[in-house]
Amino acid sequence: MSVFLDWLRSILLGSAILTAALAAASPAQAQTGGARAPNECATCHGGLSDAAFVAPAVAFRGGDVHQERGFTCADCHGGDPTVANKDQAKAPETGYTGIPRGTDQIAVCARCHSDAAFMRGFAPRQRVDQASEYAVSVHGIRLAEGDLNVATCASCHGAHGIRTASDARSPVFPTNVAATCASCHSSESHMAGYELPDGSPLPTTQRAEHEMSAHYEALTERNDLSAPTCNDCHGNHGAAPPGVRSVANVCGTCHAVFATKFETSVHSFVFEAGCVECHGNHAIVAPPPEMLGTSEDAVCSQCHGGDDDPGFLGARQMRAGRDRLRDEIARTADLIERARVAGMEVGDEVLALGEVRNHLVLARTEMHAFTPETVQPIIDEGLSMLTEIERAGEDALDELRFRRRGLAVSLGAILLFVVALALKIRQIDRRRLGAAD
Amino acid sequence: MMQERVLDWLDERLDLSSLRHFIAEKKVPIHAHEIWYYLGGLTLFLFAIQVASGILLILYYRPSAEEAYESVQFIVSEVQFGWLIRNVHSWSANLLIAVAFAHFFSVFLLKSYRRPRELTWVTGMLLLFLMLGFGFSGYLLPWNELAFFATKVGTGMAGAVPIIGDGLMRVLRGGDDVTGATLSRFYGLHIAILPALTTLLVAGHLLLVQRQGMSVPLEIERRARAGKRIPDMPFFPNYVLRDVLAWYVAIALLAALAAFYPWELGRKADAFAPVPPGIRPEWYFLATFHTLKMLPAYILGIEGEQIGVLGMGAAAAFLVFVPFLDRRVSRGEPSPLFTLIALFGLAYLVVFTIVGHYAE
Repeated sequence: MSVFLDWLRSILLGSAILTAALAAASPAQAQTGGARAPNECATCHGGLSDAAFVAPAVAFRGGDVHQERGFTCADCHGGDPTVANKDQAKAPETGYTGIPRGTDQIAVCARCHSDAAFMRGFAPRQRVDQASEYAVSVHGIRLAEGDLNVATCASCHGAHGIRTASDARSPVFPTNVAATCASCHSSESHMAGYELPDGSPLPTTQRAEHEMSAHYEALTERNDLSAPTCNDCHGNHGAAPPGVRSVANVCGTCHAVFATKFETSVHSFVFEAGCVECHGNHAIVAPPPEMLGTSEDAVCSQCHGGDDDPGFLGARQMRAGRDRLRDEIARTADLIERARVAGMEVGDEVLALGEVRNHLVLARTEMHAFTPETVQPIIDEGLSMLTEIERAGEDALDELRFRRRGLAVSLGAILLFVVALALKIRQIDRRRLGAAD
Repeated sequence: MMQERVLDWLDERLDLSSLRHFIAEKKVPIHAHEIWYYLGGLTLFLFAIQVASGILLILYYRPSAEEAYESVQFIVSEVQFGWLIRNVHSWSANLLIAVAFAHFFSVFLLKSYRRPRELTWVTGMLLLFLMLGFGFSGYLLPWNELAFFATKVGTGMAGAVPIIGDGLMRVLRGGDDVTGATLSRFYGLHIAILPALTTLLVAGHLLLVQRQGMSVPLEIERRARAGKRIPDMPFFPNYVLRDVLAWYVAIALLAALAAFYPWELGRKADAFAPVPPGIRPEWYFLATFHTLKMLPAYILGIEGEQIGVLGMGAAAAFLVFVPFLDRRVSRGEPSPLFTLIALFGLAYLVVFTIVGHYAE
């Protein structure tokens, strides 16, 4: 009950921040047309000797999306950018706020990004609920509790030199997200003191584990930008660990059929952590063949054992069926490939083999319902299709042998005729030369 | 006995005596280079195979982007001996062009084009270009991936012809891009327009060869002029039987190639698929293709490809008019310059074809 009250309190606090942010001020007035007013902030900061003061001005002018759309330093920091004198530019009446930190930073960004009418003038398709999502995220809740160590807008997007998320140079571009999250989550010193719900320290190995995963490989090796990275499972503005009961839903966002099958299975009631129980989380790899079955390295045998255990027998049956279909596909594919390389037309059989491979995928999918009786018909249908393909492949090789026998006979006949013709030519040549003599 | 009765029956109606006399009297000279004489007959024989196998393929082939590939697939997998007909057609096409090139170079180097055989050479050159046209148009007909993209490149080169390039490319493609319209166009070209032109030119070429007899090399002709007798053999049956022998060897080679190296059909053309690696034209266009690829983008401010296409057009025109340009050989004098040109042309084709084959 107290946990629930804490949660409720945090949400209310976060909402208060959001409301305050929205009420703080009207959105900045970007100069979208006409001559730009002088920006003395950038001029002055650009000429300072301390690199820490110069860097923001350089980054802002080096391709920042806000700068490109006419915003100035004063839109976030306040102050009077038209005045060259530092004291006058930062005088209290100019509304100068300095560096916005913590909740102030959320409020500064939300002033524009939570205003749908304002955003329509710049990025009409962009969502405007980032601040409200953030308020209920773990980051937002902790910030509301006064933890200034948590990520705020600038932690992920940067402060100056901000680029759109679709820009490959942006820290929130899919291939950069893991590094961005890891800048805090892989740091033991930064994460010290944070705990998991069970009280154990929050691990800092997620990025290293993710880099071993099939998802990371798809993202970085195959350049598949739809492959999941941190925010696809944890959320971004509303970042939170997927709770144990919602893991299947999170995975099911992409692996929808697997999730549906799993939902119907007995394991959905047993597995606390859903998909993670067998597949793991950050270090998830393509399931190896030995994962299913009753051998020592199979995940099924971690819980099931003995011939009187229906789960054990089911796992063994599904593994045997899947292995048989897989091996038969390989054998038949080899036969068809031999016929193809020999020049036989086996296009239909190649297509049919693709269909059988689909059956293997279907069987693997169906296995997530953990009912061998629904898997077996798929395996049987695949095997029956393979019998037809194999027959066609054998026919093609028989035809090839027939062609070669036919060729041998034809060549023999041609050779005989050529020899006879050569003899005839010699005979008539001799006759002609004899007549000439 | 029966044969005589049939000939008598025909003679009575057609009066074949002059033809019989011509055949009986026709002689073929015998000398060290006579082997090259058989290339002309072999080219004609392979063309006859193309016509016969092509007619059989027409019975099943369907010239549309939707059905062409499937119909060829049907021919090679379902039609009785369809595989043999299609493979013979494909292999024979390649052998035909190889033999036609060999015939061309042998005639060029032996200077057989000299007076009075200028027209025989001109018709022969035009026939060689027509054979290349057959190869180019036929390559697309199975509508497979390689042919589709190679035709795209090939027709694109026509676009480099100055002034008329764009129009020429559109006429060839039947639109802005290679589509089903291009296929219909190439089919019409392959089975109607080119065969009609070829028939006329072959008839003219053969008529000239028969009227003028076989040419002999220059030094043998000089000896004949000096009163020396050139040994010869009767055209029928001695020479004809040798020709038939060569044809049988060609048949044996074709059968072996068809059985052991069936012509691969590949994957169906897909205009939206990425261009597969290794796209290149048939081997007989590789030298020109590679030459165009090697040219710099601009030469003296003019597009390199335009200069290449113009250069090839000029070379083709030069070859057609060789008999009229080689004045020395027409006077019966040796013409080493044209021998050098022929040897250079042969070396260029061989080297650039090999380099083009292995180039990335």
